[in-house]
Amino acid sequence: MEKGKTYDQAINRLEEIVASLERGGKGLDETLQLYEEGAILLKQCQEDLKSAEGKLNELRLEDIEKEISKD
Amino acid sequence: MREGSDLTTGPLSVGNFVNLIRQTVKQDQLFQNQAIKGEVSQWKQYPSGHTYFTLRDNVGQMSAVIWQGRCFIDPSIKEGSEVVVIAGVDLYTKQGRIQLVVNKIEPVNAIGKMEEALRELKLKLRQEGAFDRPRKPLPLVPKHIAIVTGTGSAALSDMNRLIENRWPGLRRTIIGVLVQGENSVREIVRGLAVARKLSDPEIAKQRNQPPVDVIIVGRGGGSPEDLWAFNLEPVARAIIASQIPVISAVGHESDLLVSDMVADVRASTPSNAIERCVPDYNAIQMLLSDYNERIDSATIRQFSDARSRLKLLTSMLKAAPMAGINNVRIKIQRLAMMLNNSSQSIITQENARMAKFEASLKAVHPQRVLERGYSMIQNDRGEVLSQIEQLSIGQNIKMSFADGKAEASIVNLEKKGK
Repeated sequence: MEKGKTYDQAINRLEEIVASLERGGKGLDETLQLYEEGAILLKQCQEDLKSAEGKLNELRLEDIEKEISKD
Repeated sequence: MREGSDLTTGPLSVGNFVNLIRQTVKQDQLFQNQAIKGEVSQWKQYPSGHTYFTLRDNVGQMSAVIWQGRCFIDPSIKEGSEVVVIAGVDLYTKQGRIQLVVNKIEPVNAIGKMEEALRELKLKLRQEGAFDRPRKPLPLVPKHIAIVTGTGSAALSDMNRLIENRWPGLRRTIIGVLVQGENSVREIVRGLAVARKLSDPEIAKQRNQPPVDVIIVGRGGGSPEDLWAFNLEPVARAIIASQIPVISAVGHESDLLVSDMVADVRASTPSNAIERCVPDYNAIQMLLSDYNERIDSATIRQFSDARSRLKLLTSMLKAAPMAGINNVRIKIQRLAMMLNNSSQSIITQENARMAKFEASLKAVHPQRVLERGYSMIQNDRGEVLSQIEQLSIGQNIKMSFADGKAEASIVNLEKKGK
């Protein structure tokens, strides 16, 4: 989630949106805006979860120190 | 004693020889009141009250006895205990066996000094506020975990297995370090430094990885000495220095180390560290799809509510006869007309009232009074005089008439009723 929110922020905002929509009483414009924001955040969260997947990197201290100093 | 070694007197009996040795060692203070350190093995307390054991170390060993009632024996002493004895050497002539006769025995508190250093460190850290500094919260979903622990350890394989159960393929970097022994402190500190570097967004970008967002540092259970590195200041400092949350996961539930006290999260065991920071993948997916459904259904409900309101209004409008609308228009026109009329009549009324006021005002104007034949008398300060008491003989007065003014002087005063 490079631009904008972290996963934690996104999920908190999603919680707010769900609560706000379920409470109702919003105008249609606002409802639609919240819906769109929610849909974008959901997509971002899904993508973000994918980014948690990666390879298992197991190295002895010296090797990883060398690797980092190379960068 | 020299005579015993004089071979010219003939051979010594073995018993005499052993006795000779016995006398020699018993007379030498070096062998009689010596503090000796070693490890207890074959510890046996007999019903007779005597205690037999072997005192040993890597180099040698000796059997030892504590005669019944000779000294206090710390109940914590057992097989493997490190002890210091005050003992003398005796030699059993019959068996030619050499033995330590113990006068005093004490367990060595091997970590006594270390305990002292630990107390001081805790005091220092507490005064610095390191124990109650604000803790960094763990991310809901870690994108990159760094684990600083022993490679090939049971603790590591437990952690790996648990991660795969909860979130298969979760990204992690394992930094293998020594977790006990002389070099462990330095290695753990370096390992934490590497993990901190990997949490730097710039470095992570270069490595094409998300930055490390949780660090786990720890090892499995062991003796207090085995875990001691986690009680030392450099490790504590390295944990405090981290910009991202650090979980300390050392030993078992009952082991509380300085690393536990300064870390952002204390896990009771390495496995517990994983339980604390790695959520269940399916649970997270379920949460997201729950949000998805609820957003959809709430939005749909909002729109269908709006649609049914619209329908209701439309049907009401359709039901309203055009005649009704015309009636309203007529009513409004009538109201407007009434308003216009009534305001006109108010203005006329007000005008008439104003004219009347003007007439009566004119009637009381001083000029009108003068015109009717009265005159007004003022003193030389211009004050109007209306009473005889305001006058004195010889005073000059001004008299105003409708068509002019005159000045006069008072020649006589006559007050009414006097």
